[in-house]
Amino acid sequence: MAFDSVTNAKDFAKKKKANRSAKLKQCKLDARRHQWLSQVNNQERKDQVDVSGGIQVSPTHGRNERDRVVKISEMNSGNGEHDGSVQHYSDSDSSSHSRISHSCSVGGSHFSGTSFTGSGGSSRSSSSSGRSVSGIMSEEEDDDNNDDDDGCVDDWEAVADAMAASDAKQQQEQNKPFQESPSEHENVNKLNCPPEFPNSQLLEVDIPKPKAENRKAWRPDDAFRPQSLPTLLKQHSFPIKLERHSGSGGVTCAIGISTQSSCPICCEDLDFTDSSFLPCYCGFRLCLFCHKRILEEDGRCPGCRKKYEHDGITCEGNGNFAEGSSPYRFARSYSMITKS
Amino acid sequence: MKSSSTGGVGRSWQSTATVSCSGKRIQKEMRELNLEAPPHSSAGPKGDNLYHWVATLIAPQGTPYQGGIFFLDIAFPVDYPFRPPQVLFKTRIFHCNVDSAGNVALDILKDGWSPALTISKLLLALTSLLSNPDPYKPLVPGIAHLYLEDKAKHNELAAEWTRRFAR
Repeated sequence: MAFDSVTNAKDFAKKKKANRSAKLKQCKLDARRHQWLSQVNNQERKDQVDVSGGIQVSPTHGRNERDRVVKISEMNSGNGEHDGSVQHYSDSDSSSHSRISHSCSVGGSHFSGTSFTGSGGSSRSSSSSGRSVSGIMSEEEDDDNNDDDDGCVDDWEAVADAMAASDAKQQQEQNKPFQESPSEHENVNKLNCPPEFPNSQLLEVDIPKPKAENRKAWRPDDAFRPQSLPTLLKQHSFPIKLERHSGSGGVTCAIGISTQSSCPICCEDLDFTDSSFLPCYCGFRLCLFCHKRILEEDGRCPGCRKKYEHDGITCEGNGNFAEGSSPYRFARSYSMITKS
Repeated sequence: MKSSSTGGVGRSWQSTATVSCSGKRIQKEMRELNLEAPPHSSAGPKGDNLYHWVATLIAPQGTPYQGGIFFLDIAFPVDYPFRPPQVLFKTRIFHCNVDSAGNVALDILKDGWSPALTISKLLLALTSLLSNPDPYKPLVPGIAHLYLEDKAKHNELAAEWTRRFAR
């Protein structure tokens, strides 16, 4: 813990300078928030990092005392969070992982199963996920803050100096991000730069680095890539498909893929959803757009001219088609066909 | 939107999408017809308009219409595969299912239409209609009556009309 606080203080000083050069913007802060969220998952990992980072001891005594308090309070809250917020992280994983640094690779492997099924909802709204996730966090943090209010106040002031950029959004979530910020800075800096760098160099070199790191998307072969990240292939298609993978199982999907490459009605290419979609017992396949259109009109299968079965299901799906829920329903009706 | 048979005019986003959809389908059918047309028939766009075709039927042997070449107009609706094309006999024919204006009474051109049907299949059905008139769903009841009562007379008249109009 002693090493911890020392390096923290150094990082604070660095951050301060960087902020004075006005390079921290709101987008960066958002990225940080994601990292903070993931940070709690990785409390244990921090100790290892500290060992390697302990070389760069350059104490700034003024801050040392304060940081120690911060650290302790952080550890307290961190331990408390571990129990309560595990489920929450599994949900936020899929949406926030692109910004998270290495710490997520540990968390990701933990929760890969749950986040996979949960990704249908969260990845759909991934663009706004930062806000929603942080909203959830602040709710959770209310409970935690009751325990360690004292540490929190000190913490808030210390980091407010360092961050220098304050806006209304941050004010709302002040408790949460600032509580965990020290460990975040520490991790980013240490992982990004080799420890043998002189301190003066660190100042100039590694401050912009986190920025670039945060903006970079995960590559599929990245060693630190969270396992919960969907692969690129899956991202091409709708998130609903992920749901189906886990929902109806791979067997039915494998059966459902036809050799047909284009819709016989509109001659457009069939994608995976379409080619695994079997609306009628007669085996006539068509794309979901044409199927929807036919349902709106006479609702008969073009192949056998019979009324489409599962009328209740398909019509119900037809009503809220715009919300994207009906393909899932179709998939379910289809899986019923193959099983029977 | 659905009533206008000649396509190509997109008034709203919806109708533009439909036009391009039907256009792709019609172009594909055109390619396939060029590759292999059904026997005794051919079809293709009349001019620049993809939605207005001309088709020819060569009446099969063994029917009173044999030796005749019948021209048809095919008009695709803008929402084509979902609505049947409109077929009109441009050549006069003595047939109980084709009236003097050239309208054809064929179930697949009305309620029996399926989006899975193509012009190629339609031409096959029309050729079959020449071989086997359906007097029980007539468009010209007189000819249907004659077909049921006196088939020889019917065939004789049909052959004569074919000689007069379809050669």
